Amino acid sequence: MTTAPEVNSLIPTYTDAPATDVVHVRGGSLNAVEISAWFGSNKVLEKVSLEMPANTVTALIGPSGCGKSTFLRILNRMHELVPSAKLSGQVLLDGDDIYDPGHRITETRKRIGMVFQKPNPFPAMSIADNVTAGLKLTGTKIGKSDREALIERSLSRAGLWKEVKDRLKEPGSALSGGQQQRLCIARSLAVEPEVLLMDEPCSALDPTSTRRVEETIHEIKDQVTVVIVTHNMQQAARVSQQCAFFLAQLGTPGDIVEAGPTVDIFGNPKDPRTEDYVNGRFG
Amino acid sequence: MTALMDPPSTPSAPEPTPRVEDVPRSIDPGLPRSDKVFFGVSRAIGYSVFVLMGAIGLFLGLQSIPTFKRYGLGFLTESQWQPEKDILGISAVLVGTFTVALVAMVIAFPLALATALYISEYAPAKFKSFLVSMVDLMAAIPSIVWGLWGFFLLQPKAIHVAHWLHTHMGWVPFFNVDTDPNAAPWAQSRYAASAFIAGIAVSMMVLPMAAAVMRQVFSQAPIGEREAALGLGSTKWGMIRAVVLPFGAGGIIGGTMLSLGRALGETIAVVLIISPAFDIKFKPLEIGTSTISALIAGRFGEATSAQLSALLTAGFVLFIITLIINTLAAMIVARSRSGAQE
Amino acid sequence: MIDRAGADTPLAPSWEPAPYEPPTVVWDESASVDAAPIEPAYVPVAVDYPVSSDLSYDESSSGRHAAEQAGYEAPVTTIPATEPEHAPSHTASSMTMAEAVVAAEATIAPADPFATMEIPAVAVAAPAAVSFTKAAQVPATTVTPSGSTPPPTASPEVKPMRASSEPDVPRPIGGKTLDDHASFWGSLLGSFGLLWVIYTQLLPFTGRVGFVILWLITFLLMYAGVSAMGNPSQVVLDRTVAAAIRAGAMIVGLALASAVFFTFWKGIDALVHVNFFTQDMAGVRPTAPLDQGGIIHAIAGSLIEIGIAVLFALPLGVGTAVFMNEVGGPTARAVRTVVEAMTALPSIVAGLFVYTVLIVTLGVSRTGIAAACAIFVMILPIIARASDVVLRVMPGGLREASLALGASKWQTVRMVVLPTVRPGLATALILGIARGVGETSPVLLTSGASSYLNLNPFSEPMNSLPLFVFSSVRSGEPLFIARGFGAASVLLALVLVLFVITRRLARTKVGNR
Repeated sequence: MTTAPEVNSLIPTYTDAPATDVVHVRGGSLNAVEISAWFGSNKVLEKVSLEMPANTVTALIGPSGCGKSTFLRILNRMHELVPSAKLSGQVLLDGDDIYDPGHRITETRKRIGMVFQKPNPFPAMSIADNVTAGLKLTGTKIGKSDREALIERSLSRAGLWKEVKDRLKEPGSALSGGQQQRLCIARSLAVEPEVLLMDEPCSALDPTSTRRVEETIHEIKDQVTVVIVTHNMQQAARVSQQCAFFLAQLGTPGDIVEAGPTVDIFGNPKDPRTEDYVNGRFG
Repeated sequence: MTALMDPPSTPSAPEPTPRVEDVPRSIDPGLPRSDKVFFGVSRAIGYSVFVLMGAIGLFLGLQSIPTFKRYGLGFLTESQWQPEKDILGISAVLVGTFTVALVAMVIAFPLALATALYISEYAPAKFKSFLVSMVDLMAAIPSIVWGLWGFFLLQPKAIHVAHWLHTHMGWVPFFNVDTDPNAAPWAQSRYAASAFIAGIAVSMMVLPMAAAVMRQVFSQAPIGEREAALGLGSTKWGMIRAVVLPFGAGGIIGGTMLSLGRALGETIAVVLIISPAFDIKFKPLEIGTSTISALIAGRFGEATSAQLSALLTAGFVLFIITLIINTLAAMIVARSRSGAQE
Repeated sequence: MIDRAGADTPLAPSWEPAPYEPPTVVWDESASVDAAPIEPAYVPVAVDYPVSSDLSYDESSSGRHAAEQAGYEAPVTTIPATEPEHAPSHTASSMTMAEAVVAAEATIAPADPFATMEIPAVAVAAPAAVSFTKAAQVPATTVTPSGSTPPPTASPEVKPMRASSEPDVPRPIGGKTLDDHASFWGSLLGSFGLLWVIYTQLLPFTGRVGFVILWLITFLLMYAGVSAMGNPSQVVLDRTVAAAIRAGAMIVGLALASAVFFTFWKGIDALVHVNFFTQDMAGVRPTAPLDQGGIIHAIAGSLIEIGIAVLFALPLGVGTAVFMNEVGGPTARAVRTVVEAMTALPSIVAGLFVYTVLIVTLGVSRTGIAAACAIFVMILPIIARASDVVLRVMPGGLREASLALGASKWQTVRMVVLPTVRPGLATALILGIARGVGETSPVLLTSGASSYLNLNPFSEPMNSLPLFVFSSVRSGEPLFIARGFGAASVLLALVLVLFVITRRLARTKVGNR
C-alpha cells in the first residue's frame, strides 16, 4: 500500500446497541499471494496478489467475468466446493496460509465469514435461530442469556435490531429482501469472524436497502475486515478505503490491473484502463 | 400522442350510458375436424381406462361384500385360514404382512437414506450419474431374483445373525424365538424361513424406490442455503442437517411411505422364503409367518368361489392399505417445500 | 465469459488501423480526468492503436445488447477478428463450461443498474489492446502485488514487479490431512484386529456376516474415538456420519452386485448348454442332466405375454396421459385420481382379479392371453402414470407457441408435444416393460405352466421366465434349481438390456436439449 489504511478507532461503536456491550473483536489482515485459479482447464485468475489490511473495507471492482467472485470465494475456501476447481498461491490470514493442510476448513470459514449475493436465510429457522445458526453449526455452546445478548448485539451491528426485535420468533424468510440480507450479515457477524467477505451483497436489493447495508458495512469495519465485490462504482467509492480493479481479456485469466486507496483509484488512477472503467461508469 | 393525453372529460368523451350487466359471450372454439377426432379419441381412451380401472376397484369392493356378510368383522380379527372348517380370517396374515414390511423398512430406510445422501452429497461428481442409474437398475431387478438371492445366498448367513440377535438380545420380546439359543447344536431350522429373512429380501426390492425419491429431493436443496451454512464454518454434516435434511423432509417421508406400500404388496420373494404359518406372533426371527399376498399365491388354486371371494377380500384390504399409504405419501411430497418447487 | 470492456466496439467511422507503436502512446490525462465526453477525447488516441487483437472476441456480448438497449446509437463497427498470436486458444465455447461462480457473475450483469451504462468501448478497448500487447512482451508490468501501477507511458523495459515468474501449478486443496487418513485407516485396521481377537478368540462366535457387521460397528466407534482425540465434536460427528453414510451406500452396492453376480454365477451351469436356449422341457425327466431340455418355451412365453400386454397398455396408457394433459377438463382429474390409485394395486391382486373374472367366472382356460391380461392390468396404471408425469413436466410455453402459430390441438400434440417428450415416454414404457416381464405373481395365477413350447396365446397353458424360475426352484431338485438360476439369469439379462436401452434414450434426451 502506498498509503496506510485509514486507522479506525478500535472501540466499537454501535448504531443502536446498548453501550454496555463490549466486543473484543478485531479484524484480521488478509493477504492473497499469487493466486491462480482454474475451473477444469479454464484458468480464471492468474497470479493475483492483494493485501487486505485489518479493519479496512476493500472493494473488488471490475467488469463481469473477470474473476472477482472467484477471488473472493478463494479467500474463505468456498472455491473448492466446485468439483473441478483448482488453485495455486497462498491466502494468508494474519500470516497463516489458510490452505495449509494443518488448517481445518471449517475453522477457516468461521474466521472468514461470507455474505452472498442473494440473501439466503435458513427458511426453516426463526430470525433468532438464524442469527445463532453459525454457533449451532460450528458446535459452539452458549448460555441462554448470552445467546439473547448475542442475538441483540449481532442484529444491532447489522442495523436490524430495531426492525425485528419484536418478531424474533418469525421465520427468517418472512423479512423483506433487504432485511434478509442484513439478517445474513448478522448471522455472519454472530460467529465473530475476523474477516467478512461480501459478494455483491446489494445487487438484489432496492436502493434504500442498499443504503442500509452500506451503513452497516461502515459501522462494522471497526471490528472486522471487509472485502466486498461490487458492480456499483458509487458503492465502491462510498464504502471502501481501498480498491482493486480486476480485468480479464477474453481467453486470458483475470488479473488485478490496479489496486490502491479508493481515493486514488477514483480520483487519480494510474492505469488508463482503471480510469476508463471508473470514469466510464459515471461519464 | 396528444390525443392520448387528453383528459377523459373532453367533450368527445361518450356520455355515461345506463349500466348494463356484462355477460360473457360464447366463444365458438371452431375446432378443425382433426381436433374433433383427436378430442373424441383421446376422451374415449381416457374414459375407457377410467372405466376399466374403476371397474377393477369396484369389483374388488363388491366382491368383499358377501365375505363380510358371511364372516362379519371376524374376518379381520380371526387368525386362522381353515377353509375345511369354514374359518377364514386375515388377522394373522395382516400381522405377518406388517411384520415383513416393518423389517423391510427398518433395513431399507437407513440404507436408502445413506445411499441418497451419498449420491447427492458425498459421491465424486463424475460418478453421480452412474450411481443414479445403478439405483434405477436396482429398482428394475425382478423380484424373483431378489427372492433367489434371499433364499439361497442370504438365508444361510442370516440365520446366524438371527441366532446372535436371539442369544444376546432375546430379552427383547421382538427378538425372541421359541427355542433354546444356547443348546449345543442350536436349532438352525427354527431361525430359517422367517419374516426377518423375507423382510431383508423385500427391503432390497423397495430400497431403490425410496433412495431415488430422497436423492432427487436432496439434490434440489438450494445452493444458496448450502453455501450459507458452509460459509459459517459448518462441517458437511452440519450443512446437511441444517439445510438438506429439513429441505428434503417431505421426500424422506414420502419416499419411505411409497416403498412401504410396495413392501406390503410384495409377493414372490416372500412366498419363496417363508414357511406359511397362521399365528398372530411378533417374533420375526422365528420360522413361519404369512402375508396377504403369500396367502393369495398359496391358496388361490384350491379355493371354492366363496373362498375365492374371501381371498379377493383379503386382496382388497391390502389394496386399501397400500392406497391409503400411497395417497398420504403423495400428499406429503406435494406439500413439502421441495415438492412445491417442482 | 463476457468482458464488458470488449463489447463490439462502436468507433468513429473514420477509424483506421495504424501501425503499432506502444511506447509512443501518450495518454491524454487531462482529457480523461473529467472524462465526461470520453468519446471525442479518445478517438485520436484510438487511432494510434493497432487492429491487432482482442477487440474481436465478443461478438455475442451482452455488453453490446446492453449498449443498444441503452440507446447507444454510435455506429457499431465490428473489428475484424484477427486472433492475436499470443492469445491463448480459449474460445467462447470453452467458457461455457458449467461453472457456477463465473456464470453467476456474468448473468448478474444486466441486473446491475450500471450494466446498461455501457462504457464507450473505444475508451476501454483501445487501452486494453495496448496493455495486452505489453503484457505479452513483459508479462510483469501490469499487475503488482502492492497495487502500484506502472506509469501509463511505461516502456517495455519497466522492471517486472511480480514476485515470481515460476509457472503456477495447482496445489492440492480440500484434500485430506494426514490426521484424516491416519484416523480412518488406523481405525479400520485397529477395529479389525480388535474384533478378530474378540470374535474368534475370546467369544465363541462364528459366521462371516456377523463379523462384518460387528467390524463396521467397531470401526465406527473406534473412528469416532480416534477423531475425538484431536478434533472438536463437530468434526468427530462429521467424520463418523460420513463414514456411516459411505458404509451404508457400500452395503447397498454390495447387495446389488451380489444379487446380479450370484444369479449369473449359479446360472452358469445351465447357461453353458446350448440346448438350454433351444429346447423346451417336454418329456424331460426330473433327474435329466442339464444337457437335456431348455427354457425356450419360457422365453417365448414371456415375450408373447409381455408383447400382448404392451400392445394394449402402451396406446391406452399414453392416450390416457395425453387425455389428462392435453384435453383436460374436470373428467381428467377423475381419471388421474383413479389411475394414481390403481398404481397402488399389488400385482398379486391384479393377478387374482384376472383369475377370478376370466378363468373362474368367464371360463377362459389358463392361457397366455389370460397372463397377458393380468400383466396388462398391472402395467397400465404404471405406464399411464409415468407418461402423465413426463407430459406434465413439459414446459407449457412450447404448447402455447405452437397454438399461437395457428396449429390445431392435434397438430400441436403430434408435432410438438409427443416428439418433445418421446425419450421420456420411451423411458417410462421400458421401465413398465421391465416391471411387467419380471413380475411373477400375475402369471403365477393365470397362465398355467406348460413344459412345452406353445406359441398360441389363446389355447393351452403357457410358461414364462419368472414362473419357470419360481416353479423350478420350488421343486427342490438340484438340477431344476440350476435351470431355475439359468432362467433367472436370462430374465436378468433381458432386464439389463431393456435398462441399457432406457439409459441410451435418456441420454439422447439430454443431447437433444
